Amino acid sequence: MNLIKMLLAASFFWAGTALADPPTGYPFVDYDAGLKAARANGKPIFLYFGRYGCAWCDHTNKKTFSDAALKKLYAENYVLVYVDAESGKRLTLPTGERITEAELGVRLQAFATPLFVYLTPQGDKIVQIPGFKTVQDFRDYDRYVRGGHYKQKTLLEFLGGKS
Amino acid sequence: MRAAALLLAVLAWPAQAAWEWSAPLTVNSVRGATIFPHLESANRRGIAVSGGTVGVVWEDNRDGTSQCYLALKPATAANFQPEIRLSQADCYEPVVVALGAGRFVAAWEEAGRVHARVLPGGKALQLSKADAVQVTLAIRGNALYAAWAEQAGRFRRIVVAQLAIDSDKLGVIAVQPVEAAAPADEQCWPALALAGDGSVTVAWEDRRSRHTVPMVSSSPDGRSFSPPARLTDHKSGSVDGLGAGTGAMRPTLTAWGEQGLAAVWLDKRDFLSGYDVYAAFDTGTRRFGKNIRVQDSFGDNMAQWHAQIVGDVSGRLVALWDDARDGTPDVWLADWEGVAFGDNVAVPAASGPGAQSDPVATLDAGGSLHVVWLDRDEAAGTRIRYARAERK
Repeated sequence: MNLIKMLLAASFFWAGTALADPPTGYPFVDYDAGLKAARANGKPIFLYFGRYGCAWCDHTNKKTFSDAALKKLYAENYVLVYVDAESGKRLTLPTGERITEAELGVRLQAFATPLFVYLTPQGDKIVQIPGFKTVQDFRDYDRYVRGGHYKQKTLLEFLGGKS
Repeated sequence: MRAAALLLAVLAWPAQAAWEWSAPLTVNSVRGATIFPHLESANRRGIAVSGGTVGVVWEDNRDGTSQCYLALKPATAANFQPEIRLSQADCYEPVVVALGAGRFVAAWEEAGRVHARVLPGGKALQLSKADAVQVTLAIRGNALYAAWAEQAGRFRRIVVAQLAIDSDKLGVIAVQPVEAAAPADEQCWPALALAGDGSVTVAWEDRRSRHTVPMVSSSPDGRSFSPPARLTDHKSGSVDGLGAGTGAMRPTLTAWGEQGLAAVWLDKRDFLSGYDVYAAFDTGTRRFGKNIRVQDSFGDNMAQWHAQIVGDVSGRLVALWDDARDGTPDVWLADWEGVAFGDNVAVPAASGPGAQSDPVATLDAGGSLHVVWLDRDEAAGTRIRYARAERK
């Protein structure tokens, strides 16, 4: 009986993550809500620029964002924003310009998904990182961002040449 | 198949010469660092030419909220006249088509519904009863159609309406969804085209395959639509159990030649180099064939954006988009040359230093190409620029 319950739970989890929406269990919000929250609480923004049906997003969700400790680290210390690379949903940039979520990809010069963008609480870009990344990668990026190292070093310099 | 190839080759005849461009003009009369004009719309129908008068529509926030505007340049005028505001409440993604003799029909989203109006004069008519976005228009002779994405339960679906014109009044003859069944996932960004046989074709973004797929449907009379087919010949499906398929977005359609249709869209089947521009043709069978990549090899490793296709009854066919292959965003075009699109050519006034992007274009009855684009300047504000090209 317990085995059946576990299988059902597992199938529900995979069904929920198969479409490369935000990873399950993370408190992702949309861009406008995230910017408002970040300004209010002073937390940096972690922006997940994903695409509906994106295989590498799905891979990242399953391999990396399934890590419970990473989920705790990012949920507690960042405002989590999810943007759909092909959506016509509107958002307002810190400049006051209204664009679509898809147009944000143009402004970020996004060429692949997933794309991870770290922003200050005011919405200024700190660094953007494309493609699949590991749990350790995201821990390194967190140290770079919340440690304030981005003010003195590029990400590559901070990582000692490790990409 | 051979007949189709021959037809495509015959339709390529005008594409052998170069475009000769007019000096560019600025369309918007108000600009500033905190004013943001946008040319985005369903099927990128932001410009039309009616009896020699050029009409351009866009949205900007000069009045503190997003509003839609129309500027006209009569044939004998050297510049665009000051724009008129089309909307009262938040307005997005306006489109315009030519009625002839200097008259136009514009449509836009306002306060969550879609509206249309004959210009000059005319009163706005609300087209949608439910929440709706991304309206577009197509006209051929006396036949005028609109399409939009309308809320239907959890998701939006594509709705097509036949419109009537009586002097400066618009009416709705019939409205129906492309599919009677409730949408299984999101449908949006419709593109419309009316072919020479009187048929109505609509393409749109569709997520029923759990990723975005450009789909298409046709109707011989605008009332009963064929089951949706894929515009893309790239299959859906996961890779090693991951995802559902590659990305694609913003299909645009144009009538082309006497019976044909052409479509382009942004396509991420090569997922490491951003979106590419892909095209497909319907030579009159109301079926689109294999996909053709539009940009040339110099643009291969570069993301393309804001693609549009424009054609005319004489067989001219031009694809436009922007990309940053030369370091900054420029507007590019490619003529159809029978079996492939030709070399990519930068629009002279829309290339070089700075950021020039978001082209919208139309071919007029004489075969001239009219192009409008955004010329971004963060300090001085964005200009909407216009140029006309003749084939020499």
